[in-house]
Amino acid sequence: MIYKILLAVWMTFIIVASFMFTEAASGFPGETSRILFFHVPQAWVATLCFLLSMIGSALYLAKRRLGSDDLAHSAAELGFLFCILATVTGSIFAKATWGSYWNWDPRETSIVILLMIYGAYFALRSAVPDPEKKRVFAAVYSILAFVTVPFLVFVVPRITTSLHPEDTMNPAKPGMDPRTLKVFLGSLFAYTTLFVWMLRLRMRLLYLEHLKDPIARMRRDGGIE
Amino acid sequence: MKNGRWITQTESSTCLSEALAIWVRDLRSEFRTRYAVNAILMFAVTTLIAVSFSIGSFRIAETEKPFLNGVLLWVILVFSALSGLSRSFVKEEEAGTMDVLKLSARPQAVFLGKLFFNLTLLGALELIIVPAFIIMMGYEIELPGCFTAMVVSAGLGLGAGTTIVAAMIAQASARGALFSALSFPLLLPLMIVAIKGCERAAVGTDAAGWPEVRIAVAYIVIMIIMSLFLFPLIWEE
Repeated sequence: MIYKILLAVWMTFIIVASFMFTEAASGFPGETSRILFFHVPQAWVATLCFLLSMIGSALYLAKRRLGSDDLAHSAAELGFLFCILATVTGSIFAKATWGSYWNWDPRETSIVILLMIYGAYFALRSAVPDPEKKRVFAAVYSILAFVTVPFLVFVVPRITTSLHPEDTMNPAKPGMDPRTLKVFLGSLFAYTTLFVWMLRLRMRLLYLEHLKDPIARMRRDGGIE
Repeated sequence: MKNGRWITQTESSTCLSEALAIWVRDLRSEFRTRYAVNAILMFAVTTLIAVSFSIGSFRIAETEKPFLNGVLLWVILVFSALSGLSRSFVKEEEAGTMDVLKLSARPQAVFLGKLFFNLTLLGALELIIVPAFIIMMGYEIELPGCFTAMVVSAGLGLGAGTTIVAAMIAQASARGALFSALSFPLLLPLMIVAIKGCERAAVGTDAAGWPEVRIAVAYIVIMIIMSLFLFPLIWEE
């Protein structure tokens, strides 16, 4: 409970600081560069979710524990949510700086494919009636989708040049304003914590749903192999 | 079927011989019904005619041709493939032969046999559609060797990426729509590469080592290896 309050205070602090404490980066119209504090952590969490979903899937295939499938499933659901958030914020930024909401920039392409993968994952989960099969299939699909991601990362940027701001706003590169960097890292921490909290909440809910199902419950406790 | 008898898993049968037996059996049953090949080819021919009729070979500006024709070609090929490739497993489910197949061969052999069958279908599809497309759309290609390599490797990639998905959706409900929905995100990187490779071949800029073909080959290798690992899990469920 105390963590929730601390997180709320920290989030508020970050939101205020991102507008009051930092200067808008030069080279971007108006205040648009402040998207950095919201869009990038969202995209980071979406990527983290994709990775966690794959790890959960691999663990499920190896050990067949329901908890691993719950992790994969909840991470995919939250990943879908954060993907949409990152897409919408990015699209607004694109309109403000590049002049159009959507122009198939490589980043936009890869996030659309990520959204499609999540969509297909949920479609597969809902289309397989047998619960055991459903989990295995979803896990297999999640791993297959993860394997194609390197192609997107290396291949799609070759096709067209990206307008996505990298140099001026990438915290790994020198030249970022120290105040901006502080707030950015704080925001990254806040979003990751928010994600962990949401993930645990979702996993607990799925666990409670399993409790209603006696077979799943026995399997979870190691009664059935 | 081998010499008129059911093949069974014996000491002497290897994974490859089982795969070939499944491939031959599928080809035979396909020759009898011609279901998958009709579905895919009719879909492809219809789309090609629709595209060619509405666009033709003069609507697209000469400078845009290499790229736009590549896009149209791959849209036709990918969606035709998606319309029929799931047949290889769906027909087992519908005929109730899934269990016998599970008993008759190793899972990897089943996967390879179905993969060979899908690749045969894709080969037939490309053999008919690609020349027809080139003629009907006036697609001029500067580097035929590079173009052929791109079409063949991307065709192999289509088979490698969709066969395991077909095995999954055969056991799900709402098969037809689900197959496209699941396969498309996996195929999109390959499709982008194939379009780029065909554009390069048509323009004639010969980059050393045909980078797009190499990416497609890497995609094939990774997809087949991952499928061989993952297929037994979904097959034995």
